[in-house]
Amino acid sequence: MNMPLAEPSTPLLRRMSVEDGLTSEQVLLEMVCEGGGDALALAWQPNDRALVMPRRHERIAAFPWVRQALQQQGWPILFRPTGGEPVPQSPQVINVAVALRCRVSSAARHLEWGYRRFGDPWCTWLQSLGVAGADLGPVSGAYCDGRFNVRIAGRKLVGTAQRWRRVRGCRDMAVLVHGAMQVEGSPAELVTVVNDFQAGIGEPLRFQAERHIALREVLPDFRGEMIDRLLARFPA
Amino acid sequence: MSTAITVPDDLWEGDNEGVITAWLVDDGSQVNQGDLVAEVMVEKAQYEIEAPATGVLTIVKQEDEVVAKGTTIASLEEK
Repeated sequence: MNMPLAEPSTPLLRRMSVEDGLTSEQVLLEMVCEGGGDALALAWQPNDRALVMPRRHERIAAFPWVRQALQQQGWPILFRPTGGEPVPQSPQVINVAVALRCRVSSAARHLEWGYRRFGDPWCTWLQSLGVAGADLGPVSGAYCDGRFNVRIAGRKLVGTAQRWRRVRGCRDMAVLVHGAMQVEGSPAELVTVVNDFQAGIGEPLRFQAERHIALREVLPDFRGEMIDRLLARFPA
Repeated sequence: MSTAITVPDDLWEGDNEGVITAWLVDDGSQVNQGDLVAEVMVEKAQYEIEAPATGVLTIVKQEDEVVAKGTTIASLEEK
């Protein structure tokens, strides 16, 4: 079941603040844990901006200063429950989250299973829209890199991350898989924000805009309702 | 009686190591069985670690330490 968290007559892609989007994703995971379905999906697009990262970054010595500096630039820092590194959220980005409940009785249903169950439909959705060269893999030089980005011709389109929770009272586990895809604008603007954070905390690693790609670059006719067809591809 | 909190063997496939990204309760705190006590990250996936028993928490592995599956990260002493 794909659960839009919206009235049936409205488009599945919802616009909300980054804070509300992150909260909605956590609700999705809790609903799966509480028996609200074996698979729920949500698509949302921010109507504001934030640099989003796991809470562990709060322990960095320069964090309070960097947080204040980025806030003044219009990029407040928010925390997310999934792993990884800082990721910019803005109205240029569309997020998709899928919560799945599964029995972890073998190695088949684990981290890689979760990423492939999420990333493979994303690649076939892109293919169905005429976008060639989509696959899963790492992108050196991209921010928040991992083994399971959705790539187009080797450039990062979608960053993915997960959160796993054991379901109370049984052997089931639940996973929230999240993907953030830049749709509009130039990757350079978002990469700059992440690099500003890197500089502020004294981390020498910098990321390259050319290692990222925005969907509009390869799909000029993209419309928000096309996300409905992506959500329909996730397992019920 | 002491109960070890270990990184479960079934949390992820393969032999990758994880990192303790957060302790969600303080060392020396009383916790109840099933309470969420820590988070371990591997490959951008955060795994929630629950207390397997009720007791007072003694943290063995600190935040940002690398852990393998089966590693004891804390113990719970029943009072």
